[in-house]
Parts: sequence; C-alpha cells; structure tokens
Amino acid sequence: MPITTTRRRLLAGSAAALAFPHLARAQGAAKPRLTAISQWSAGSDGAAITALGKKFEEKGGVWQHSPVPGFTTEMMNKLRAQIMAGDPPACSQLKGPEIAAWSKIAPTVNLDALVAAAGYEKVVAPDLAKLHKPGGKWIALPLQIYSTNMLFLSKRAMDKAKADKVPVTWADFNDLAEKMKAGGVASPIANGGTRPDDGQKFEAALAGISPLAYRAAIMNLDKKALEGPEIKAAFAQLRKIADWMDPNVGAQHFSTNLKRFIDGDMGMMIMGGWAQGVLRNAGFKLEDFMITPGPSDNGKPVFLLNADAFIFWQRKEADLQAGQTLMAQLVMDPAIQTMYSQITGSIPVRTDVDLSGEGWSDGQRTTAKALKDAIASNQAVLSMAHNMAQENGMTAAMIDVITEYVKNKSIKPEQAATRLAEAVEGAR
Amino acid sequence: MSNAAAMRPGRPALPEWVRRLPEYLMIWVPLLLSAAHLVSFSLWTIWISFTPSTLVPVTGWVGFRNYTAVAASRNWQIAFDNLLLFGSAFVLLSAATGLILAILLDQRIRGENVLRSIFLYPLAVSFVVTGTVWSWLLNPGLGIQKLVHDLGWTSFKFDWLIDRDMAIWTIVVAAIWQSSGFAMALFLAGLRSVDSDIIKAAQIDGAGPVRTYRRIILPSLWPITITVVVIQLQFAISTFDLVRALTNGGPGIATQLPALVVYDLMFQRSLLGRGAAAAVLMLLILLAVLLPYAAWRYIQRRRAAHA
Repeated sequence: MPITTTRRRLLAGSAAALAFPHLARAQGAAKPRLTAISQWSAGSDGAAITALGKKFEEKGGVWQHSPVPGFTTEMMNKLRAQIMAGDPPACSQLKGPEIAAWSKIAPTVNLDALVAAAGYEKVVAPDLAKLHKPGGKWIALPLQIYSTNMLFLSKRAMDKAKADKVPVTWADFNDLAEKMKAGGVASPIANGGTRPDDGQKFEAALAGISPLAYRAAIMNLDKKALEGPEIKAAFAQLRKIADWMDPNVGAQHFSTNLKRFIDGDMGMMIMGGWAQGVLRNAGFKLEDFMITPGPSDNGKPVFLLNADAFIFWQRKEADLQAGQTLMAQLVMDPAIQTMYSQITGSIPVRTDVDLSGEGWSDGQRTTAKALKDAIASNQAVLSMAHNMAQENGMTAAMIDVITEYVKNKSIKPEQAATRLAEAVEGAR
Repeated sequence: MSNAAAMRPGRPALPEWVRRLPEYLMIWVPLLLSAAHLVSFSLWTIWISFTPSTLVPVTGWVGFRNYTAVAASRNWQIAFDNLLLFGSAFVLLSAATGLILAILLDQRIRGENVLRSIFLYPLAVSFVVTGTVWSWLLNPGLGIQKLVHDLGWTSFKFDWLIDRDMAIWTIVVAAIWQSSGFAMALFLAGLRSVDSDIIKAAQIDGAGPVRTYRRIILPSLWPITITVVVIQLQFAISTFDLVRALTNGGPGIATQLPALVVYDLMFQRSLLGRGAAAAVLMLLILLAVLLPYAAWRYIQRRRAAHA
C-alpha cells in the first residue's frame, strides 16, 4: 500500500527532525510560523494584533492567531486546555504574576539571548522587567503599557465648576469634586460598577496617598503595612469617591456612561489609559476632556502599571521556534511598539520611544511622561485591580472587600482595613 | 410497529432480540453514555476537591481543607443564605403564579391558545437575555423608576437592583417572569385531567366554583405541585446565567449564589481544588432536595401497587 509507505517515510523524517533539531534548522527549510492565542478579537485591540500579524507575514512568517473573545480568564481556560493536552501555543497573551504561576505548569522558552541582543532590559521599567523573568530568565515580553490611575476630566463639568486647574493632590481632587457638585454636576465621579472599577479607585487612592505603603501592603503583602494608617486613609478617600458616584450604575461597564461624562453630567473619571481609545472609538473629540496623572499627595506622579505581554511556550517544531524568534524580535522593536500603541491608545513599553511625533495624542504623551517621572522617583507600582500585583486568587480576595465597601456605606474605613488584612491572610 | 412487520405473512419471524435491537440501541447507548459522562465527571470533581489543585489538576491529598476554606469564606456564606432565600421565595411564588394563571386560563376563555403562548414565551428566552433585559428595566436611572419619574410621580422609588438588601429579590422577580409559564403549563395539564364526572357531581350537589376548586380540583393537583416544586428547586440551586447577567453577584457581593462561587473559584481565581469543593457542596444541596423526592416517588408507587 503506497499510502502507508509515504506515511511511514514522513514519520521517519519528522522523527529525525525531532532528534536533530539543529539539522532541521541547518537546512533552512523552516519557514517561521507562530501559533498564538489572545483575547484580542475586536475593536482597537483586534486591529492592533491584526496589524502585528501583517508585519509578521511581511517578514516571511505564517501567522496563526486564534483569538478567544471575552474576559482574560476565558483565554486562560483555552490555554489551560491546550497545555494539559500537551499542545501549547507557541506564544500566548499572559500578564503580571500569572506569568510566574503558569510557567510552573509547562516549559517556556528562555529569551535571554534575544533580549540581550535587542538591549531591551535597559529600556523597561525595573518592576515590570521582574515580572517577565521569574527565576531570573526572560520567558515573556511586555508589549504595551497602560496606567490604571489616569484622571480624566470633563471639560463641560470643569466649566460648570468654574475651575481650570488640574488637581494634583487628593485634597485638590476633593475640592474640585465639591465645586463640581455645587456647580450642578450630577455625579462628580464617572464610573462603572464592575469589580476592577472598584479595585481601581482603591488602588489609586492608596498609591496616591503613599506609594511606599502601596508597595509594602499590596505588592509585598506586608502584614504591618496592611494594618497601617495609610490603608484606613485610602478607604476613607474611597468612601468620598463612592459618595460622588452615581449609585444607579449598578454593575454597568464604565463605557456606558461616557456620554454623560462628556456632557458634563459626570465630572471626573479615574480610569486606565484605554478609556482614551474607547472615547475616541465612540466618536468623542479629544478637546472634550483632559487627561492627567491620578492624584498624588507628594506632588510627583504615581504610575499604576498595567502591561500586556506575550509568554512563549516551548515547542519542538523548527518552524515554530523560528516563529518565536521572529515574534520576540518584533515585540521588542520600537517601530512595532509605536504602531501597536498608536492603535490601542496605550504607551510603548520602551521608555526610549519618542512620542512627540504625529500619531500620538496629548494623553499618551502625558502618560509616557508620568511613567518616566514615576520611575525616576520610584513611584511606578504594579496595579492590583488589573492583576499585576498579585495572582488572581489574591486579587479577587482583596476586591471582594473593596467592592463590598464601595457598595455598603455602613462599613467603616477601619472595619474595611481589618477585613482587607483578614482576606489577605485567608488567601495566602 | 415492529410487531406488525413481524406478523406479515410470508416472512420468517425474526428473533426477538433482533427485532428489538433498534429500541435497545436507542435507549441504552445514550443512557450509558450520559451516565458514564455524568458519573465519571462527578467522581473526578470529588477527587479534585480533595487535592491541592490550583491552576491545573494535580495529585495529592489535603483532606477537607478545601471544604473548610470554602465554608469559611464570606462569598460562600452569602451565597448559601441567598440560596435559601431565593430558592424558597422563587419556588413558592412561581408555583403560586403558575397556579393562578392556570386556573384563570382554565375558565374556557376565548383566545386561550394565544394567552398560553404568551405566558409560556419567556421560557423560550435564554436566561442571559432575561437577565440583561431586566437589568435595564430595573435600573433606577434607566428603567421603571425613570419612566414613572418622567410621567410626573417624582417621589416614586424602585431601586432594588442597587439596594444590597433587596437586590436578591430582583433575581426572584426575573426568575418568576421566566418560569411561571412552565408551572402554569404543568398545572393546566393537571386541571384538565381532573375527572369531569366528579366536577359535575359536585355541581349537582350544589357546590359553587370556589368550593369545587378548593375541595375537589386543588387536592387532586398535589402530585403535580410536588413535581413543579422539585423541578423549580433544582433550577434555583443551579442558577447561574440569570444572576451573572442581571447583577453579576452585586452590588458588592450581595447577590452571590453557589454556582457563581464555583465558577469564580475555578476560573477567575484559578483555585480548582476549592472550586471543586464548592461544586461538591452544591451537589449535596441538590441531593438534599432530590433524595426525599425519590423516596416519596418510591412510596407512592408501592402504595399504588398495593391498592
């Protein structure tokens, strides 16, 4: 039977390729191919990764991206299934401490040589770099950065409050909110009602009050810091913010209320830089709102880092390995990062990209400058609400306490602080 | 049908088991497959609940640690209390609504078919759609409250959706809207199956309609009532998509239900062991409902056999 013979020959051939990968590579026959999964399927995220795929193909690669739309956790379910089946994608979206956690369940690719060749380590924020090299080796590469504590100000609400100064500290912020309320802005704080929304308001409050306390309590889970006065102060500030929100938003997504924000019916929004892309996609003009770093009591910007990244899973196939090399080079390339961030509204991971040119917005320039300043003053910290500071289980335990506090006005700041410390102990 | 074919003259009769082969295949293959599926995955989940699994299933033994952790968590305690409240309120109210609708429809009214379709229609809508629609209707800033305000009654207040103590009732309301038509259909079938001779006899004896219902028709409905209650209860215990779309467990964590906690532990927090423990606890709650029902059915059948 001729078919069997062919199949047998094929099998023998691939067995040889497996046994002698250098041989396969030496033949130069392997055309770079990349299997990738991510949650980015639509909107600016989908457009950005499609553009990245085009670049990959321009370099002679075969781009096989399978998006899993929905929450990040749904993408993780697919990743989990593929890993357990012994067939991980060559590359997948993953971020924060999850990189370290997942790297324990399947072998990853050591990217140290590629990172060194690109000189990438020098241009990445140190806290961020640490997340992508658990155990000291680069296994994942950050792709783009958002700050989760940017402050968006509605121009019309500012007019109603007769204010033109951008708030710097929390005292300024509270002052402005009062003025807005007095000036007829129905809800000085624009917000959604999702769990990360509530988490974001808390982390913005705590990091703005004391980046040191944030680092100790939230990032290092230091017991004393968790019981410290800064946590109570942050909960007290969070109560003020909650009182200025529109209670009717229920469990809505923040984007539901963007029109009211632009109309000046809502005044300020503490949100990640991605809101800029959402606002632009919804057809609002850049001159209708202002973007500034979130309030910081010491006057220097505090940057709550959220970074998307790709992790590279070990594969034996020569074409996938070549694809991984090409992908890694592309992700670190300043031109690619520029292209990607200009589509999504984020800022590049590389701190040496010049944002003065066309294609960048003022909001992006402000964000990039805030990152640079925050790194200089050691005030660039990792976002808890967006799963950068802790693994999912710990983050969820903290947000349980925070979201209940936001919605239940009978809980005192002291009680909330105690509950937060207890929740951390329970999830450890 | 197969009997008729076998009786046809001029053809040798096939052996019994060959003739009945399609029936066996039709019944046993799906039954065995689904039983194997159900049993094997249940056993697998029970096993996982005793392991320290987090991101992926691992072997190992942690005893009841996952169970104590789940039972001690605020999320589970709130979910369990909510289940008691939601389960009893939903089952009683949906059965009552269904019964009233069925009695009203039973009055030989015109357009019964149309009305019956209307009442049954919500059942054809998925829970996600139900939840989303009600989340807009019940939102005070957009739905019913705003409508009444716009009509001029500005002191009207209906903000259950964002009220921590009342939010669970919004789920009750939406669930009743969705499934009272189902209870109605079962009750209606029950009402129609009451022997008309008995009813006529009662009427001849001078019993009015209220008395006829109370003394004759309703007592004969109670086996159906139990069926309705059991079916609705197991729906209540496994409620997931409705809450997820309507309140997503909020405000805060005020409307958590066990199924949400299981999903949250397994897939949001990547704690497979604890999620499995919560799932097993849910199974136990379900058994607490189904076992008495099975026992009752068994007693009924024995009584019928003896009679």
